[in-house]
Amino acid sequence: MDNSGMRSLVDALLDGDRARAVTEARSLRNEGVEVERIVVEGLGSAMEQLDGKCTIEEFNLLEIMLVGRAVMSVVKELFPREVPGEPPRITVVVASLEGDVHDLGKNIVKMVLSGKGYRVIDCGKDCPLGTLIDAAERHGAAAIGISGLITTVISQVKKAKELLEQRGLGHIKVLAGGAALKQATAESLKVDFVAETAFDGVRYLGSALR
Amino acid sequence: MKSIERIQAAINFEATDRVPVIAQVFGHTAVVSGLTIQDYVRSGRVMADCQMKALARYGYDAVFAVMDVNVETEALGSRLTYRPNDYPYVQSHAFSKDTNLKAIPLPDPSSAGRMPEILDAVTTLRREVGDEVLVVGCVLGPMTLATQLLGMEKALYLAIDDPEGFERLLDFSTQVVIRFGIAQIERGAHLPLVFDPSASPSVVPPRFFREFELPRLKKVFAALDAAGALAAWLHIAGPTASILPFCLESGANLVNFDYYVTPDELMSKAPSTCCNGNIKCLDFEEEVPEKILSESTGLLEAFAKRGGFILSSGCEIPPRSRSENVDALVSATRGWR
Repeated sequence: MDNSGMRSLVDALLDGDRARAVTEARSLRNEGVEVERIVVEGLGSAMEQLDGKCTIEEFNLLEIMLVGRAVMSVVKELFPREVPGEPPRITVVVASLEGDVHDLGKNIVKMVLSGKGYRVIDCGKDCPLGTLIDAAERHGAAAIGISGLITTVISQVKKAKELLEQRGLGHIKVLAGGAALKQATAESLKVDFVAETAFDGVRYLGSALR
Repeated sequence: MKSIERIQAAINFEATDRVPVIAQVFGHTAVVSGLTIQDYVRSGRVMADCQMKALARYGYDAVFAVMDVNVETEALGSRLTYRPNDYPYVQSHAFSKDTNLKAIPLPDPSSAGRMPEILDAVTTLRREVGDEVLVVGCVLGPMTLATQLLGMEKALYLAIDDPEGFERLLDFSTQVVIRFGIAQIERGAHLPLVFDPSASPSVVPPRFFREFELPRLKKVFAALDAAGALAAWLHIAGPTASILPFCLESGANLVNFDYYVTPDELMSKAPSTCCNGNIKCLDFEEEVPEKILSESTGLLEAFAKRGGFILSSGCEIPPRSRSENVDALVSATRGWR
């Protein structure tokens, strides 16, 4: 099969051109290309190329946000709502915890996860830990992602695994990231993984949930 | 040597009796004074009192009139939510992408929002310490103020979707910063720290910094210098190695560096510029004094030959840090020549 349409989609995504990306995705669907293939070969490929560019030295929000905006537009095009009968996607619940009103980092994680084909439940910012865990249980999440820009949320992060275990949800992976949390170790935060970047976290999930 | 002489000597790469030490403590000074952060960020009098008590407690070389990153945006109409035990945050941003900036007057530092509280604090602090200890005010960098006025996501998308509109916002922000910074110097600050976290390479690429932020920072530092600032101190956290050449080009002669940048990297890219840093700020909350002392000693050793160094953290020391850890930072310089 000619892959030029998929390459055009990847190029549009990496250019951050959301209108062109949606048009390319729509064309692929009209040609009969499966949604799953567009996610894996289109969105997933764009994410991998972006990941390769975004070392710790080169990672910057602006570039990620531009690609992210295009990716989310395509995700909306591909998944206007959950369609019965479609294979369930792995669910990840994300939030910034109570007291932390910064949600840009969380939004980046949401975008990268969506681009990789995960179903993302966004509990927003300033979210009580109990609400986050309720959502994880309700949606059958495989993982929880906590983004923290300020150090004051650390005490809540440290309680997450324990609360999950108390409710019989100890299998749910807990990931932490963001400017404040990534200064700490997974052991000190009592989580499964501390991500340096959003891509770092998604790579971990890819191997841990395999 | 007086603290201020020690800092000036370090900036000029001259001999000092010991390495200067600056603990970047803001809300922490309220916590050690037994007050809430809300008390601290609402009143210049309270802030100055907390800073003086902390200076007496720790004995470092500078005091700060720094509240939070929302002073300027609040003065321009952003609505904040205040919390007892944490810094306030923006509930609704003052501007939208369609705001007509020509119709917005520059805020008057003597009356707009909490700006007069900052001015009262610098006046009180300068009266208390005179020219013994460095009195540091604070302004946001133009990029950071732009993101605080519009919101980070909207500001960054504006930069891409309407670069001219974004530049107009940056120019407006530059004027606000300059006016507020000069007012702080006139009221007693030895210098205002230019705090610009949104210009970090974690947020925007280096070429973006060069094109959009560098020309404005040059204007800011030139204006502050003309107003009598003792030094040009630029504070950007994160992995800043890639923008260090531009930071120097901005006119800064004192640059903050965070834990991402090693002393060797810093010295190779800024060989003749004084710097302050770079202990991981979370360590002050999570680690023990022995660790802070060890990290401090490592930094003192790294810069011993070159000079031009002020021992400090890479960013703000968190409010609920352990006091023993701040003590350890300060004491590291006492036994070191």
